[in-house]
Amino acid sequence: MNRRALLSLFGIGSGLLLETRVTEAKNKNSVNRVAASEPKVTAVSPKGTRPPIRLYAMAPRVNSLDGKTVYLVDATHFDGSETLLMQMQAWFQQNMPSVKTVFRKKAGAYAADDPTLWAEIKTNAYATVMAIGH
Amino acid sequence: MEKMGVPAIPMCTIAYKELADLTAARDGMPHLREIFTPHPVGGKTSAELAAYLVDPDPVSGIQIMKEIVEDLTRPLSADEMKSGTQSIQAGPAIYGPATPDNLQELFMTNGMTDYLPIVIPTEEKVEAMLKGTSHNPDEVLRTPLQGVGYTSARWGYTVRQVAVNAVMAGCRPEYFPVVLAMASVGSLGLFGSTTSSGSAIVINGPIRDKLDMNYGLGALSPFAHSNATIGRSWTLMGKNLTNAGILGDTYQGSQGNQLDYNNCVIAEDEKNSPWAPLHVQFGYKAKENMLSLFGGPDIRQGAGARGAGAEPAMFDQQISYMCESMVGGSGALAILDPLVAKRLVEQGYDSKEKLAEFVYKNTTRTVKDFKESFLAPFHLYPLALQAREPYASWYKLPDDTVIPFFPSAKQINFVVCGGQANAFFQIANMNHVRSESIDKWM
Repeated sequence: MNRRALLSLFGIGSGLLLETRVTEAKNKNSVNRVAASEPKVTAVSPKGTRPPIRLYAMAPRVNSLDGKTVYLVDATHFDGSETLLMQMQAWFQQNMPSVKTVFRKKAGAYAADDPTLWAEIKTNAYATVMAIGH
Repeated sequence: MEKMGVPAIPMCTIAYKELADLTAARDGMPHLREIFTPHPVGGKTSAELAAYLVDPDPVSGIQIMKEIVEDLTRPLSADEMKSGTQSIQAGPAIYGPATPDNLQELFMTNGMTDYLPIVIPTEEKVEAMLKGTSHNPDEVLRTPLQGVGYTSARWGYTVRQVAVNAVMAGCRPEYFPVVLAMASVGSLGLFGSTTSSGSAIVINGPIRDKLDMNYGLGALSPFAHSNATIGRSWTLMGKNLTNAGILGDTYQGSQGNQLDYNNCVIAEDEKNSPWAPLHVQFGYKAKENMLSLFGGPDIRQGAGARGAGAEPAMFDQQISYMCESMVGGSGALAILDPLVAKRLVEQGYDSKEKLAEFVYKNTTRTVKDFKESFLAPFHLYPLALQAREPYASWYKLPDDTVIPFFPSAKQINFVVCGGQANAFFQIANMNHVRSESIDKWM
């Protein structure tokens, strides 16, 4: 993860680390603006409170997909999602015929859960691929 | 699914890698085995998408199908098996001491402004703002929650944190109850989807006059301190209180929306309107001070009345005509000059409800047009799969069936404001999101 993304996770723009450089640049280049007698003030941060992050262990893997069921889920309904997953299903049929694939479209808006589908996957499948958007 | 014990591969195009990484980290699985395709997927043929699958993942360099099989069978690493709480240091509570100019630069550089000069939120100014409400400064309006919301991280905020943003926007303490009512809606400014939606905020009740809000000539333009700063605070609150507006992360709006600068604050001209005010239509009392939030793609000019020179002028038909080009699934908020409202009463619409019913019945399209419209395949069809009406029924109808454009007349709203210089109106392609009491925050 790059530095900008890491700072974004904290809710801090990468410019925070420029504060010292900004101050130094202004002192060098704008002596009139930053007069010795200009009062200094303290500002309260306007930022909200970020949620705590709890880490979760990922699901354990088996060492082969042979004989397993994999659900291919169109999670977004965006243009191309279904077609891509149909091609994926065709690939499994040609290259790994022992893998059973089941295609499903998630119900609800793209950020919404589909508890019925999740329960079906948990009951019937070893794994799932979810795609894709745009 | 991973939390449920089902190995899962999330796929997205390379354009959203950073967002995918951040979302996985915020959801508590920073090492989620993501797979990326070239961008875009939309508009590609079956053959092109089949080729994507046997080409390398642009991030890992591994052939995509091979990578999928590996990611579903490779044993977990120690990092992937970690659980527990991750501690991350909170940002600074104060900035400075520094000169006001340096603080302006600091706030702007750190993405905490709308790139216009702010009122520096000193402790003194924040305390003065807090006097605008009887509520405890430490009262929580929204609790921070992991795994909730558009980017899986619902930030939280208190009355005090809202006050800081209200100061920055230039609000006066007497505006603060309105700002708190806005903040209590939950989802704040700068909605981050690629569609770049905007917001409009309607204010009703006696508070409009108490705050010298403008609902006459130039009602939607910058001619009142209260309208301008209240609207501005919505954007600043979005950026700062909910971490919205980080390009490529919490903000993906492909072109953005000019409404984001000020969010179209509309004080309704209740005195010159021939109808019940908007909040009364929603079931509130006339003397209650209410705020109603609307959200959607845009606001456009109504372009007069249908049938130039006709007597009476056909404003009803013009409103219906303007709706035909809207994004289905979003509603309509018609913003009418009092002259237009009076003409509509002359046409026989003695209530907003009657007018909404006309627009609902007379704005139509075929099922085919509905299915092929923007939003239908990936937003309304999924609702049909959940048996949500009317979408579930519409998708079962023959393509040439004529259906209403709007799912319900209740999605069509009207508000009156303007200086009666001419009979014009504007119309927002926006849904009513929520209404909140301003009185509660006095």
